[in-house]
Amino acid sequence: MNAQDKDIPLLAKEGPRVAAGQGDTETHHPPAPPQLRRGVDDQRIVFEDVSKFYGEVLGVNRVNLSIPPGITSLVGPNGSGKTTLMNLMTGLVAPTRGRITLLGMSPREPERLFHKVGYCTQFDSFPKGLTGYQFVYSYLRLFGHSHPAAARLAEQAIDRVNLADAAHRLIAGYSKGMRQRIKLAQAMCHKPTVLVLDEPLNGLDPLIRAETIALFRSLAQEGLYVIISSHVLHEVDALSDQVVLLSNGYVVAEGQIHGVREEIHEHPMQILIRCNRPGDFASRIFQQEYVVEARILADGQGLLVKTRDADRFYLLLNRIAQSGISIESVAPADDDVLSVYEYLIGAEEPPK
Amino acid sequence: MSFERLPWALWRAQILAILRLEVRKTFFTRRGAWIYLLAFAPVVLYAAHSFVELKNGGHGDLGEDSHIFAAIFQFFFLRLAIFFGCVGIFGNLFRGEVLEKSLHYYFLAPLRREVLVVGKFLSGLLAATVIFSASTLLQFISVYCYFSSNTLQEFLFHEHGLAHLAAYLGVTLLACIGYGSVFLAAGLLFRNPLIPTVVILVWEAVNGFLPAILQQMSVIFYLKSLCPVAVNESMTGDSHSLLDLLAVNPSPAAPATAILGLLVLCLIILALSSLQVRRMQIDYGAE
Amino acid sequence: MAVHKRSYHSYAGELSPAWSRFLIVSRYAYENALSSRFLVAFFAICFFYPLGCALALYMNHNERLLAIFHVSSFFAVDARFFYHFQNVQGALAFILTALVGPGLVSPDLANHALPLYFCWPFSRVEYVLGKLFVLVSMLSLVTWIPGEVLYLIQSGLAGARWMWSNLWIAASIFLGSAIEILVFSLLALALSAWIKRKTVAGAALLGVFFFGAGLGQAINTVLRTRNGSLVDITNLIASVVMPLFHQQSRITVPADRASLALLAISAFCLFLLEKKVRAYEVVRG
Repeated sequence: MNAQDKDIPLLAKEGPRVAAGQGDTETHHPPAPPQLRRGVDDQRIVFEDVSKFYGEVLGVNRVNLSIPPGITSLVGPNGSGKTTLMNLMTGLVAPTRGRITLLGMSPREPERLFHKVGYCTQFDSFPKGLTGYQFVYSYLRLFGHSHPAAARLAEQAIDRVNLADAAHRLIAGYSKGMRQRIKLAQAMCHKPTVLVLDEPLNGLDPLIRAETIALFRSLAQEGLYVIISSHVLHEVDALSDQVVLLSNGYVVAEGQIHGVREEIHEHPMQILIRCNRPGDFASRIFQQEYVVEARILADGQGLLVKTRDADRFYLLLNRIAQSGISIESVAPADDDVLSVYEYLIGAEEPPK
Repeated sequence: MSFERLPWALWRAQILAILRLEVRKTFFTRRGAWIYLLAFAPVVLYAAHSFVELKNGGHGDLGEDSHIFAAIFQFFFLRLAIFFGCVGIFGNLFRGEVLEKSLHYYFLAPLRREVLVVGKFLSGLLAATVIFSASTLLQFISVYCYFSSNTLQEFLFHEHGLAHLAAYLGVTLLACIGYGSVFLAAGLLFRNPLIPTVVILVWEAVNGFLPAILQQMSVIFYLKSLCPVAVNESMTGDSHSLLDLLAVNPSPAAPATAILGLLVLCLIILALSSLQVRRMQIDYGAE
Repeated sequence: MAVHKRSYHSYAGELSPAWSRFLIVSRYAYENALSSRFLVAFFAICFFYPLGCALALYMNHNERLLAIFHVSSFFAVDARFFYHFQNVQGALAFILTALVGPGLVSPDLANHALPLYFCWPFSRVEYVLGKLFVLVSMLSLVTWIPGEVLYLIQSGLAGARWMWSNLWIAASIFLGSAIEILVFSLLALALSAWIKRKTVAGAALLGVFFFGAGLGQAINTVLRTRNGSLVDITNLIASVVMPLFHQQSRITVPADRASLALLAISAFCLFLLEKKVRAYEVVRG
């Protein structure tokens, strides 16, 4: 999904409204579920108007999503519905309303679905009395694999998460990070097409985190759908092709970070510019009506600009650069998940 | 899909995989030690009795011993040992996984829920049958072992000894099937399986005092019908006691009816359990 | 990091008395137990029989009613009456124990709460006392307390002479109930401490009693003895309590042997509690 894909709205939001298109300042209702062609459906993970209520408690409400291949991150505060979405797409819970399909298959057909899907849950619990190898191997036999095939696949998966040395120790004796990795190995041992990972980096030390992130990238490059939920926003930034922001059971925004950021018109883009004459620079740009604010930095070697139209500002930047002002660097200051999170989800939190 | 084209080979492989996983949890674990105690307590008793009789010269009465064996088998082994053993083995198959938060691993495999139920039931049945059948065999050996070899040969090969042994082993197997399916379903339907356990225990305990038609609505009635030696319901031994007056001894069910009835009951319960598992959602927080 | 201003001070105010701190555990255990509507309903039902007996005692001394039926009394209020009351309330107390007991220690074990308890100035003895207090108080409310109330009602209706000549019954009610309460409570706590799942602990408690009764009968039948009843806890309690009420039955074991057996069971339960109620858990393998 990218900002140029006009068929699919980038933002769909209940409650506080976020304008969807250019110049559109009117409040709007959430768009109707995307009417995709059947062939496209078979290549995506689709949620059509899905709601899940646990009694009177809302899990997720009226979720419409279409997730393409690549790494998609589910981001949101605790209780926003990330795990519920993952449980819905894997059939561990059934939706109260709506329809879910993964690559054209329904979660109600586990015997078909789980040849293509692997899910690493948040539960830190395992069948008792098993070693890491037995855990992965035994569940591979459930898939119908023969002993040699299951043994080979188990060893490959365990190697991939760097647990070969501890594979034949009981899981009860593993550290938190090792338990997390063996769960990961079990989720991907059968080489699924879709990998759903609920906070997979929990409990991992920085070195293993980096290796695991590299693993996810390589899996995504192989064509897998990797769906990750995480709280670690800078890693989401570094890792994800697209994000889905959730809050209170609603999808607040979805798409690439840059595209989502561009749609948030009530928060002008912040751009950090390092240059030798920030005063001159500021006087030039203030003439433009789309520049809202320019603040010279404390060290006097740059300024922070807020603009409503980043594209036009960058064009202006080119002209200013040709006029003699030496520009060292230009970087978006709030074009990341953290900023988007604060603008969209932080705004809904009641002031303390 | 026609019957022949169903993936029998895959289901067989999956059931075997479930058996491999489950058997590890049921056999030779410290947590399951109490089931072995339940099962083999009568063996110890009979062995002690035989030891004492041997020391006293071995002048026992084979008929009396057969009657005592029958009474212990029906009133203690079936109603308590196998009953509670099946509560522990089968009641834990799903409920235990939910409490340990490991059931989702099965739900996340390409496994039909019906196959899962069958696999789990067969794993419980294998464990229960091996343990309790071994106990039945050892009980039979230990209760008669102090008799002379001539008496034993006469009893086993020329009288009904071996037939009795086969009958007791068959009743043990059917008891595991009957109670097993009931407690597998109880573990699925009730968050606290204590309640159905107590209800069924009391129902089976007072079974002998219920009207004949109600007696037929219990597993123990059919199991008693298949036992080779009949034992009166009242254990007080006092023919004038109130319990004796209240005891009802209807005619036993025909063996074919008893066997078929228990198997059909088991199949119906497994089918209903499969429906329940199919609708099951993973929500460990509620436990 | 330099510390500019030391503004943190540990608490130096008043503390609650040390002897009463175990009641904190009881308070929360009560809250947990009474959150079950089924338990509250059953607890209420446990008072129906004492109320019925109180009514019966009143009717037994109601002269107008007696005159209608031309009798001096409907039934004899003697040791046998109170022993029968004890039996009924004892059975209800057992069910109450099975409902409350397993939820006392099992959840703390399963949720790794014991290290949290014992990282404070709180001993294992206080913890066990706190949990025991819940059972002892609830079981007392359904056993000897209503029993003594009935005794007082009967004394009030029958007169001081009856009261003084049957004072030993009051002592028997208390002692008999105390024995039951102690055995039930220690068994329930010990099983709850050893079995992490409270439903399984409840089933185990039932199993100990039912299976023990069956095993005792089996031992007696196979070995042609009466010593099998030493594993039947119900029989053991009856063997000790019946003589207190001057009752006899041919199925009980001698009171001295039964007392020793009950003491051994209680000691074993305390041993199990001592092994399991610890601040750490060893995971083998």
